[in-house]
Amino acid sequence: MDFRFDLIAEYGPLFLKGAFLTIGVSLLGILLGCILGLFIGLGKIVQNKWIALPFAWYIHFFRGTPLFVQILLIHFGVVPLFAGTTNALLALVLSLSLNAAAYIAEIFRAGIQSIEKGQMEAARSLGMTHRQAMRHVILPQAFKRMIPPLGNEFIILIKESSLGAVIAAPELMYWGRAMQGQYYRPWEPYLTVAFIYLILTLSLSYLLTRLERRLDTK
Amino acid sequence: MKKSFLLIFASLILVLAACGTSENGENDGQGSDGGDEKEKLRVVTDAAYAPFEYMDKGEIVGFDVDFITAVLEEAGYEFTIENVGWDPLFVEIKDEHADFAISAITINDDRKETYDFSVPYFESRNMILVPTDSDIESGDDLKGKKVAVQNGTTGQEVVEEILGTNNKNISKFENNNLAIQELLAGGADAVVADNTVVLEYVKNNPDKDLKTVEDPNFESEFYGLMFPKGSELQEDINEAVKTVIENGTYAEIFEEWFGKAPNVDALIDQQ
Repeated sequence: MDFRFDLIAEYGPLFLKGAFLTIGVSLLGILLGCILGLFIGLGKIVQNKWIALPFAWYIHFFRGTPLFVQILLIHFGVVPLFAGTTNALLALVLSLSLNAAAYIAEIFRAGIQSIEKGQMEAARSLGMTHRQAMRHVILPQAFKRMIPPLGNEFIILIKESSLGAVIAAPELMYWGRAMQGQYYRPWEPYLTVAFIYLILTLSLSYLLTRLERRLDTK
Repeated sequence: MKKSFLLIFASLILVLAACGTSENGENDGQGSDGGDEKEKLRVVTDAAYAPFEYMDKGEIVGFDVDFITAVLEEAGYEFTIENVGWDPLFVEIKDEHADFAISAITINDDRKETYDFSVPYFESRNMILVPTDSDIESGDDLKGKKVAVQNGTTGQEVVEEILGTNNKNISKFENNNLAIQELLAGGADAVVADNTVVLEYVKNNPDKDLKTVEDPNFESEFYGLMFPKGSELQEDINEAVKTVIENGTYAEIFEEWFGKAPNVDALIDQQ
C-alpha cells in the first residue's frame, strides 16, 4: 500500500487547527449540555406531571431524532432565524449541547433516583430542608455514580462533533473530507483523522478515570 | 501500556488492509470466469446531481442514466446502476469494486493520474450563483466573499484558484444542494458549480431571487465515464460512446433533458 505521508504533512496544520476546534466545540458542548441537562433532569423528576411534561418531551425529541438531522435543522433553520445568517460553529455547538443535554438529563435523573430514599429521610429528620438535603447529601453521592455514564456521553459527543463536516464547520472531520476531496485518497485522511479522534477520546478517558479515583471515598 | 496500544492500532490497520485485498480478489475471480459471455456491469453514480442523475421515487434517473443505457445497449452489456455517493464513488473505482462510474465527472489531469476516462460525452462550464441583488459580476469579484461549493468538485478548484487553496472563506459541502441552502440562508455570498446544475436549480426555484453569473475565464470542461486504471472494458465502451454521439441518439437524449440541441462538434473535436 502506498501511504503518502507527505500529503498528511501538507494537511497537518489544518488537521491541528481542526482538532483544536473539535476540542473547543466538544468542551463547550459538554459544559452547556451539563448545565442544561441538570436543569432538564431536575425538571423531569418534579412531582407535578404538568411541569415535568415539557422536560420529558424535550428528552424524547432530542434522543429520538438523529443528531445529523438536528444539525441540519439548526444550521439552516434555527440559527438563521435568530442571527439572520448561518453560522456553522454556532449551529454545531448548539446542536451538540441540546442533544447531549437530553442524554445528560437522563443520567442525572438516574443518578439522583439511585440514592436510597432513606438518605433523604435521614437528612430531613436532621432538620435540613429539601433543597439542603439535595445539595449536601443526595447530589454529592449521585454525582459519583454519574461519572462513568457521563464519561461515556462526553466521548460520544467528541466523536459526534465530526458530523459538523456536513454543514462545513471546519472541525477535524471537515479537513479530513477536504483532503479526501482534493486527492481522492481515502486512507491517508481517514486513518489520520481516526487516529487523532482516538487520541482525544483516550485522553478524556484518562482524565475521567483520574477524577473517579480522586472522588473515591473508600 | 503504550506498547499494547500501538499493537492494537497496528492490528487494526492490518485488518483494514486485509479487507481491501480480499474484496479485490473476489472481483478478479468474477472477471476471469466471464469468458465469451459479457458479464453484468456494475455502474456507480452519485444520484444527487439533477438533471444528470437524481433519485425519482427511489429510482435513479437523469441524463447520464439515459445516455449510459443507450451506450451499453450499443455495446451489448447488461448493467446495474447504483447510487454510492460522490466520494465513495472514487474509492469504488480505484479499488475496482465497480466497473465504471458515470456521474458528471469532469476529466482532468489530476484524476487521470489515478483513473482512466472515456472520450468526453458532455461539455460543461462552472457558473456563479448569487442572490439577485448581489454585486458579484465575475470570478474576480469573489475575492473577499464567502463562497460555498461542493467538496472535491471543479467548482471548488475554480474558487480555490481565485481565493487560494483551503481559504477559510470557502465552505465545502457534501453536495450542491447543501451549498445552495447555505447561500439561501445567508451564510455564503455565492455558490460556484456546473452551469447545468445551477440553471436547473434557478429554473425550478424562481421564487428564491437568485441569478447566475457567467465568467468567460472559467474554462470549458468535459465529462467522461471513469474507469479503473487499465480497465479492459474501456475500449469497447469508448466505441459505443462515439457511435451514440455520432448517430444522433445523443442529441435526442440531450434535447429531452435540456430542451436544446447539443454542440456535438465540440465533443467530437475533443475526441
